[in-house]
Amino acid sequence: MYFRLLALQGSWNYETLNGTGIGFAMEPALRYLPGGTDGAAYRGALARESRYFNTHPYLAGVAVGALTRAELDGIEPARIERFRTALAGPLGSVGDRLVWASWLPFCSLVGIGVYGVGGSPMAVVGTFLLLYNAGHFLLRAWGLRIGLSRGLNVAAALGNPVLRQGPQYIGSAAALVAGVAIPLALQRVAGPGRALAGAIIGVALIGILLLAGLRERAEGWRIALGVLAVFVLYSVLT
Amino acid sequence: MILLEALPIALLGALLGLDVVSFPQAMVSRPIVAATLAGSLVGNPPAGLLIGVVLEMIALDTLPFGASRYPEWGSAAVVGGALFAAQPAGMPGALPASTLAALLTASISGWSMVVLRRTIAGRLERSRDRIEDGSRDALLSLHLSGMSLDLLRGGLVTLIAMMIFGSLVRAIVAVWGSDSAPSHAVVVVVAATVAGGALWKVFHSVRWVLWFFFGGLLGWAALLVTR
Amino acid sequence: MGIHLYRIDDRLIHGQVVVGWGQPLNIRFLVLVDDLVASSDWEKDLYRMAVPPEMEIYFADVVTAIRNHAQYASDPRPGILITGDISSMQRLVREVKAIGSVNLGGIHHRAGRAEKLRYVFLTPEEEHQLRDLEAAGVEVTAQDVPSARARPLSEVLEGESR
Repeated sequence: MYFRLLALQGSWNYETLNGTGIGFAMEPALRYLPGGTDGAAYRGALARESRYFNTHPYLAGVAVGALTRAELDGIEPARIERFRTALAGPLGSVGDRLVWASWLPFCSLVGIGVYGVGGSPMAVVGTFLLLYNAGHFLLRAWGLRIGLSRGLNVAAALGNPVLRQGPQYIGSAAALVAGVAIPLALQRVAGPGRALAGAIIGVALIGILLLAGLRERAEGWRIALGVLAVFVLYSVLT
Repeated sequence: MILLEALPIALLGALLGLDVVSFPQAMVSRPIVAATLAGSLVGNPPAGLLIGVVLEMIALDTLPFGASRYPEWGSAAVVGGALFAAQPAGMPGALPASTLAALLTASISGWSMVVLRRTIAGRLERSRDRIEDGSRDALLSLHLSGMSLDLLRGGLVTLIAMMIFGSLVRAIVAVWGSDSAPSHAVVVVVAATVAGGALWKVFHSVRWVLWFFFGGLLGWAALLVTR
Repeated sequence: MGIHLYRIDDRLIHGQVVVGWGQPLNIRFLVLVDDLVASSDWEKDLYRMAVPPEMEIYFADVVTAIRNHAQYASDPRPGILITGDISSMQRLVREVKAIGSVNLGGIHHRAGRAEKLRYVFLTPEEEHQLRDLEAAGVEVTAQDVPSARARPLSEVLEGESR
């Protein structure tokens, strides 16, 4: 099941989102239902669990574990469906905050920092992948285990301090790392020259203030694309 | 770029494109990794790493949720890394041109994900009755074909992008007009700005966040003085 | 400050709300309006876990929400009000004249619903309800996350060009 969890989003689509993936990951366990793969219990459960679901892929294990336990314990379908609906959003919210909005940017900054202090390609890539995936694979394993052991009472487990307070601490650490890592990396990319470094940091700060003012309206990568397109055109034509 | 040269790169783009969403999401597809691997494939890992760091900073802006289209960085960084690593060292236009090509690829690749997700929804529509009946075969076949299509998607995007941008970037570098020093500087400013804006968006509600950031800057200043 | 966004989303609270809208708008409280959730303790426990420690969450059924709306609106902190379906929002809007706009954040596939946007699927009856909302002077737009464009209702109902 753990291995199937890694492929949870293989059939992500706009109708069932992660739903079919949840069914896919639970399928091996559901074979233990009375009657096996041809039994009514198995078919009912598989159909139910493959419907629409939307959550964070790393914490989906909590749902897969808890729902598996509920199905194998023979909880009535209506209650399972209600639980399934209520579980998706909170898991998604906790996972998005912890992983996409803290752990990933933090590890990214650490990688950029290793580059900044002169790290070799192997060192940068190795540090980033080991650090990030230590957190990633632990989180997935924890989720599946806690889901299987708690079943329908899994809510309390989401109060785990790592999930609740983690984003704040990781955020503080990320800000600290950003202060060292980004200027160092910029220097290394831009090449030697103090005046140049000063000018770069000055212009970038103005840019950041502008972007911060726009906040949710701005999509940084689109702006980057526009500016670079103009720059390349200008340089080619003159 | 001839087809034979592009094939191994396309294979890497396929594998890393798959990592973004489908399997196993171990972030091997982050630009800092993907571009470095592509650079190694071309025989120039440090160049891959350099553009990887630039793209990584820009990618900090993308939070991968929402039904909206978002750029797909895995295949894009492979393209960027391979292009930049293939240019002769010290050419002034190489970094901006390769970065631009990678950003365009990210955008196209993001669009290809939307197409893929619609295709899977279409397949789902056709096998819905069987899945609603609890058919194991129907579910497994939907899921596995979804993953195979994603693999194919990443490979095709990378291949097409390499065929188009390979010669384009070389041509741009050949006629590049402006000086060499500002060419890196402009890219660096853009990357730093996007990274700063993105980090502010994500972390501005963290308590004392600016003090932590200034603490980091102090550490950087200390390094500058002591070196 | 008060309520910045009136959102219809069948997932209620999830990442798009807490991170996508919550962070850029500095959201500090959420009002979850749903008759079923308001009467179920274990569901409330789950949704409490969904919000970060610095955000407060209030649960209300539609009747309570109508009664307490003035209080939410005068809250010094910025907040978001969410309902899980169109009917609840419609009942709320009918009684609370202060609501000037409603956001469609996610209404997903279910038998009988047709796709309008990638995250909005509607039955004919639901389309009708939304038209009624707009006829009553409430601006209805679809927007999943703040960086996306807000699409007016007329455009949503036409469906997306494929």
